[in-house]
Amino acid sequence: MTDEFSSVWSYRLKWLYLLLLVATLMVPVFYNLYISFNKFGFGAYNYEFTLQWYSVVFQDQLLLSAFGWTMLLALCTVMTAVPLGLVAAKFFKTTRFKVWFVALLLLPLFVPADIVAASLLVFFKNLSFSLSWLADMTGLSWLGGWFDLGFMTALIGLIIYTIPYIFIVILITMGRYHPQQTEAARSCGATAWQAFRDVEFPQIRAGIFSAAAFTIILTFNEYTRTSMLKGGFDTFTSVLISQMLNTGMSEQSYAMGGIVSLVAILTIGGIIAFTMLRVQSLERTQRLKVNADMSG
Amino acid sequence: MIRTNKTQVGGGRTILASPTFFGRLFGDNGLQKYLFYLPAIFMVVFFLIPTLLTIVWSFFERTLFWMEPGFTFFSYINFFTSARFDNFLSSMFHSGISVIICFILGFPIAVFVRRHVPQVAQHRVILLFILPFMVSEIIRTFMLRPVLGRNGLVNTFLQKLGIISEPITSILFTPLGVIIGEVMSFLPFIVFAGFLAMEAVPKYIFEVCQDLGASRWRVFVDIIVPLAAPGIFAGGVFIFVNGLGVALIPNILGGPGAVNAGLIATQAISALDFPLAMAVSAIMMITLLGLLFVGHRLFNLTRILEPIA
Repeated sequence: MTDEFSSVWSYRLKWLYLLLLVATLMVPVFYNLYISFNKFGFGAYNYEFTLQWYSVVFQDQLLLSAFGWTMLLALCTVMTAVPLGLVAAKFFKTTRFKVWFVALLLLPLFVPADIVAASLLVFFKNLSFSLSWLADMTGLSWLGGWFDLGFMTALIGLIIYTIPYIFIVILITMGRYHPQQTEAARSCGATAWQAFRDVEFPQIRAGIFSAAAFTIILTFNEYTRTSMLKGGFDTFTSVLISQMLNTGMSEQSYAMGGIVSLVAILTIGGIIAFTMLRVQSLERTQRLKVNADMSG
Repeated sequence: MIRTNKTQVGGGRTILASPTFFGRLFGDNGLQKYLFYLPAIFMVVFFLIPTLLTIVWSFFERTLFWMEPGFTFFSYINFFTSARFDNFLSSMFHSGISVIICFILGFPIAVFVRRHVPQVAQHRVILLFILPFMVSEIIRTFMLRPVLGRNGLVNTFLQKLGIISEPITSILFTPLGVIIGEVMSFLPFIVFAGFLAMEAVPKYIFEVCQDLGASRWRVFVDIIVPLAAPGIFAGGVFIFVNGLGVALIPNILGGPGAVNAGLIATQAISALDFPLAMAVSAIMMITLLGLLFVGHRLFNLTRILEPIA
């Protein structure tokens, strides 16, 4: 008996440790939110709840335009990187060169942001120089300007950043899909695209949507690659980091940090809540089915 | 055999089965075949080639605003014979400590979740660690300043409890601050990698060990760690390399001299010394690939991918 009693307590303690660790990792984020809602800002003795600093952010034209650029980048990354990641996951299932392919796709996870960004920056500059030289030589003016630092180069940097995550998330959901279903659909006369759209996609939809949500969050958070490759425009995080490092933090900066955190927390919270509800409803229908079978 | 243009399948949905123009273009032997090569081509062109070219560019000669083709070891000499190399070595040391702390704090969680949490709930518990990981690193790192600072959260809290009378000022802007920042940033990774790796340790092994009377420590050292080694190693390499490469953490939390490879590279770019930045990048890539190669020879890293392959 004593053994069982102690193991119950050690089980509870382990849970407590796990939750405490997550909470500790979140302390800076919650502290930021706490400060951002204080009328008197950071370090003040008094505390009064306000949304004033958030409204200041949304009245600032510079920040609104930075916000717009960030959203546009996030949308374009989702539109390009998610299909690429999906195609990559499908390719992985059939290719013979699995190890090399996985290494190529997952290596960007391991290479630190500043190193990737630096090498891409020099790569794009070289490419841009070579293309404009080629355009001058051949007179084909459309050749030049493709890889001048700007939206496109930032987008390429973000695709490389997000593709490993998308690839893994989609691959994990695909693990539960039986490829025989595609074969069955094909032998019934469906084209590859139809078999994918009508049979496979509905089953891996959850994975694709979570991958898209992750992509939006990752793009929203990203700083290093975007700020090196973006050229002229500003994103939300690049404004924030320049305030942190150069002009100093104002109440408004904490509110910006709060917005960045809330976007992530609400999206992830939404996904967790959605999957939990879905699992519950699946279990319920399963139970009803079993009951019906037994009574029938 | 006559093929009709439209075929009824399953629940009555009409699908096209004949080789129309659209079908030929996107059919099995059309563009579709090449579509699947697109991710690989993209990654080779925009990731593999640029990172490999860093080695070539690192031998170029520096000009006033850019660089020109040449073959000089100047950037490497500049790196290895200046304070940069000492900083690089000490950032390696700090990164190593971060890896050990992350392992001690994070890996037991992966073991606990795999062993004691019901199978259906395991992924949801791990999802908890996605939350801090998904909040921007900028916020998590920068906000450690007010948390750990002189009038910050930790000091106020400890003072109110009466544990300390004077605020502790030796955390921020010291190597300790950098290590705390790295652990706070990268801890979820060892949990994820460990969780994947623990797939290789079947649950019955714990029961067998218990029946045979093996101590917990013995089970951990002789059974769990060897079986989960590929995942632990991958997580460790990730933390180590990012500790060396993420410029933000020493930039915000480190004091003078807290400079890692990422910061050297970004500072070199700001100073328009592109060959030096490329040399640092090349050194980082070689370090990373060397570590992965050694790990692969020792533990066969492809084993981690078995659950998803």
